Amino acid sequence: MASSGGGFLSRGSSGNNANMRGLVQFIADLRNARARELEEKRINKELANIRQKFKDGNLSGYHKKKYVCKLLYIYILGWNVDFGHLEAVNLISANKYSEKQIGYLAMTLFLHEQHELLHLVVNSIRKDLTDHNELFNCLALHAIANVGGREMGEALSGEVHRLLISPTSKAFVKKKAALTLLRLYRKHPDIVQPQWAERIISLMDDADMGVALSVTSLVMALAQDQPDQYKGSYVKAASRMKRILVDGEYAQDYLYYKVPCPWIQVKLLRLLQYYPPSDDLHVRELIRESLQKILNLALEMPKNVQQNNAQNAVLFEAINLIIHLDTEQALMKQISHRLGKFIQSRETNVRYLGLEAMTHLAARAETLDPIKQHQTIIIGSLKDRDISVRRKGLDLLYSMCDQTNAQPIVGELLQYLQNADFAIREEMVLKIAILTEKYATDIQWYVDISLRLIAMAGDHVSDEVWHRVIQIVTNNEELQVYAAQNILQYVKADHCHETLVKIGGYILGEFGHLIAEDKGCSPIEQFLALQGKLQGCSSGTRAIILSCFIKFVNLFPEIKSRLMFVFRAYSHTLDSELQQRACEYLALASLPTDDLLRTVCDEMPPFPERQSALLSRLHQKHANTSDKRTWVVGGKDANANEKDFSLAKNPGLKRAFSNANGTTTNGSNGTVHGTATNGTNGHAKVANDLDGLDMTDAGPSEPKTLKAPNLASAAHLSPGWEVGFNRLMLKGEGILYEDGQIQVGVRSEYRGQAACVVLYTSNKAPATITSFTTTMDLDPAEKDNLSYEVRDLPDSSIDPGAQAQQMIMFEAKKVFDKSPTMRISYLAGALQAVTIKLPVMIHKFMDPAELSADDFFKRWKQIGGAPREAQRIFGVKGGKGGDYEFNDSFIRKTVEGFRWGILDGVDPNKKNFVGASVLHTSEGGKFGCLLRLEPNYTTQMIRLTLRATDESVPPVLIKMMEDRLAVGVSTLPEVFEAPTRRDISDAFSNVLVT
Amino acid sequence: MINAVLVFNNAGQPRLTKFYTQLETSVQQRLISEIFALVSHRPTGSCNFLPLPPLLASSGTSSSSSPHEHNDIPSLVTYRHYATLYFIIISTATESPLALIDLIQVYVEALDRLFENVCELDLIFNFETLHACLAEIIVGGVVVETQLERVVEGVKSQGRVAKRPVNESRGVALGGMGGNFGWAGR
Repeated sequence: MASSGGGFLSRGSSGNNANMRGLVQFIADLRNARARELEEKRINKELANIRQKFKDGNLSGYHKKKYVCKLLYIYILGWNVDFGHLEAVNLISANKYSEKQIGYLAMTLFLHEQHELLHLVVNSIRKDLTDHNELFNCLALHAIANVGGREMGEALSGEVHRLLISPTSKAFVKKKAALTLLRLYRKHPDIVQPQWAERIISLMDDADMGVALSVTSLVMALAQDQPDQYKGSYVKAASRMKRILVDGEYAQDYLYYKVPCPWIQVKLLRLLQYYPPSDDLHVRELIRESLQKILNLALEMPKNVQQNNAQNAVLFEAINLIIHLDTEQALMKQISHRLGKFIQSRETNVRYLGLEAMTHLAARAETLDPIKQHQTIIIGSLKDRDISVRRKGLDLLYSMCDQTNAQPIVGELLQYLQNADFAIREEMVLKIAILTEKYATDIQWYVDISLRLIAMAGDHVSDEVWHRVIQIVTNNEELQVYAAQNILQYVKADHCHETLVKIGGYILGEFGHLIAEDKGCSPIEQFLALQGKLQGCSSGTRAIILSCFIKFVNLFPEIKSRLMFVFRAYSHTLDSELQQRACEYLALASLPTDDLLRTVCDEMPPFPERQSALLSRLHQKHANTSDKRTWVVGGKDANANEKDFSLAKNPGLKRAFSNANGTTTNGSNGTVHGTATNGTNGHAKVANDLDGLDMTDAGPSEPKTLKAPNLASAAHLSPGWEVGFNRLMLKGEGILYEDGQIQVGVRSEYRGQAACVVLYTSNKAPATITSFTTTMDLDPAEKDNLSYEVRDLPDSSIDPGAQAQQMIMFEAKKVFDKSPTMRISYLAGALQAVTIKLPVMIHKFMDPAELSADDFFKRWKQIGGAPREAQRIFGVKGGKGGDYEFNDSFIRKTVEGFRWGILDGVDPNKKNFVGASVLHTSEGGKFGCLLRLEPNYTTQMIRLTLRATDESVPPVLIKMMEDRLAVGVSTLPEVFEAPTRRDISDAFSNVLVT
Repeated sequence: MINAVLVFNNAGQPRLTKFYTQLETSVQQRLISEIFALVSHRPTGSCNFLPLPPLLASSGTSSSSSPHEHNDIPSLVTYRHYATLYFIIISTATESPLALIDLIQVYVEALDRLFENVCELDLIFNFETLHACLAEIIVGGVVVETQLERVVEGVKSQGRVAKRPVNESRGVALGGMGGNFGWAGR
């Protein structure tokens, strides 16, 4: 045989005997085996050999590796190689990379997370995690990601996290660490500590796309369970999306057939679907821009199949997001047009995904009209040559069904059922049954379809289906006669599916007397029809027929003798269950009086309302997954209960409905579908019943009780926030916050009830800071009083000496008390974050007013005293004679700073201050505010009185003014203090070598 | 998440089996043969996605599911057929199917770079490289890297991209591999 000698010489990795010829020979031997027995023989021989070698011990690392490789190969062929696990696992503590690698490979293939050998390797893995060799780190991470369970997670999650966040970690280590952490989190959620959230989110900005991709995957999983804690990821995803798509900000080598990193786009789009649409106009605009860009890009003709694929992957995820947002009318219109084209595409994949996306649309859209336009094509897809497409078509038809199109759709489905694939028949039957029940508008239709369905697809009808038919017929009086007539016709036929016989046995037994007068339905004919089927049925069905006959004894005494004959015959049958039944019935019918018989055979009471077993069966079939689905197949009703799918609300909630008692009527659904059969509660309840969608286990099994700390809130203000805040209380611009690394400046402008605040953040450090993030927060109680809108997001990285700015618009709706806060976080090696209070207070929305003395006193009196007046008497902090005092200029400056117009010469006492101002709010309107301040400089006391046209104003204002005035002004002349020794050493600490 | 990556040839012989949810060896083998049966009967030009039949899905999790765990129940089969080989990804329904197709493409392209015109024999004799390459793309069932260069570099940095001398006639490359194996040996 010609060997590729060139390859041998040029490709040998390390010259020495690292090529493991024995292994190659072994594989070649197996390939040359001409029959399976020979192969088996060769393998058994090798296994014996390896067993012996391991037993003898003293193998060199190389030989161990070779034998483990052989075992791996044998294992891949499907053999059990348990005996070699220990040797294989021991290889991971080897020092040579190639040996270690095989050890890890064997470990990830052979062992599973509960394997007892894993206890032995935790320490070796820890050693490799902390090793300086990054390749070792990667091997260890990869191993944990494959077999890590709870125990390993508890022991090693700290190290994994360290590798993820350490500024010195290389990108290829970081991305693996992120996914390893994800694996551990899935195994045991407590492993990821709440305080890691901010740091992990900030990594979504990582310049390396691979890191960003893996971290996004991690965040996606975390955000599903703790949406609050990870809500910062929403804005991050939106802005990254926009940077990739609109700004073209990505490494060129991440272009995959001209599409910039489709995977990360898909992930980001999906992450956005886990949150309810943002309220923030700016973020919405970012998302809208990106989505539009995707739609536009998709219009370009792709050059090859790969590009087409990648483009569509992004496009379909974008469509899903648009459907999820449900607010973007313009985009929505575009996609419903395009979806119509997709489902007719020549490409099978596109048809498949088009139908799936439409099913999603049906699950969410307000109206089904855009979908119904394509009804013929969709029905046509049931005849597609590809089964995958046919299934999707079925899903869509099921979802798009409503009262108007139920009859044609169900008709089509029934027709298709006859030659449908075996694999999907049962599901089809279930779906048809559900639709029939849900949208039945006349009784005949329901009975006709249900019975036809069972007649056609008998073998694929699960018990739930025929049980349900009986329940509905029993509970709806007007169905009973028609159902009895029809089932009798079926049972009379020569060939009748056993399931129909079961229904016949039950229904005729209960309602046979209702049709006994009809032609062809006399008691004896009913009896003969059922009796004819007795022979060919299973014993369960026979039992039903026997029970029917005892009911006949009660209903139709005229045929009693023939019934008794049957009982007698069956009292000798070999089937003990049937025999007992027959004997008991015989005894019951032979009693001297028929009192007991009547009681026993009394009409069955209506069935108690319960969850539709059909739906629960259907949904049982839907696998639940680690990532939650954001919707399920089945139209809007099935998705009505949003909390299952969106994370907006209680994430710990596992099921949408408590079905403990089906007595609560769901208003909307009850009435909509209840119209079907007026006058009975049956259908209304049925509709309610159908709501009993059981999405059990859609979420993590343990509800998270831990409340996420909102780090942006006022409760987490960073030390040092007050200095700047106080400084800017009476000024429009200045420095709000400063530390060793950043400086935050503010410029603001107030016009009426509107304000525009611009924040300038400069980087003082010598290195670029990245993942710069700001998060606004406002006390929930103030949300109605002050609204804000973030106009733009600051750049996520700031070079040394550079500045990032962000504009925020505020609107005072009513009087508010608490100022908004902002969390600023960034990466400068480690994660740094501060929370500061923004200098936006109610008095900033006031405008000084001019009033004459007459006007002032007139209004002062008009407003009157409490509750529209507030008064405080207070002294300077530190008391009289301290370092601080009140004086005329201080008071004047402060009062003016609070935006009062000081009215000189109004008050008879020259020392007193009198002021007027107008406060602007959008919802409360304008408030007139008046002030009188009476200082007593000798006692250093102030009496401050405020009156306003609305009682909400004075208490808020007076508190702020008191706090501010009470500070007073320093009595000491400003002295220059020489720097202390310590100051000097601090200042020079980075130059001096001590 | 991705539950498994499988590669097998036209005769259904496994060339790579990587399960991200651990299964018994016997269950794995059954799964592989059932999926092969599903996939191999599909004509070319059919769509690349298949819902995992429920029977298979339930057998796939029976051995490892415990009430505490998240259930990663696979429900989607995405596959691609190259010459003599089928590349198959079994995943949950929450993965983007088209992205998975792209992923297979990246994997195949990466192998092609690593082996310089890859063919089935390379996969047989260098299975650890096959796994190393996969490990650069998928970690614990989640995609970690998709950029071809980086995947290739990642594998090369581990220093074992050596092609073992393949001691028999080389098959044609994946692009148009004929492969005339008598009894389609292993």
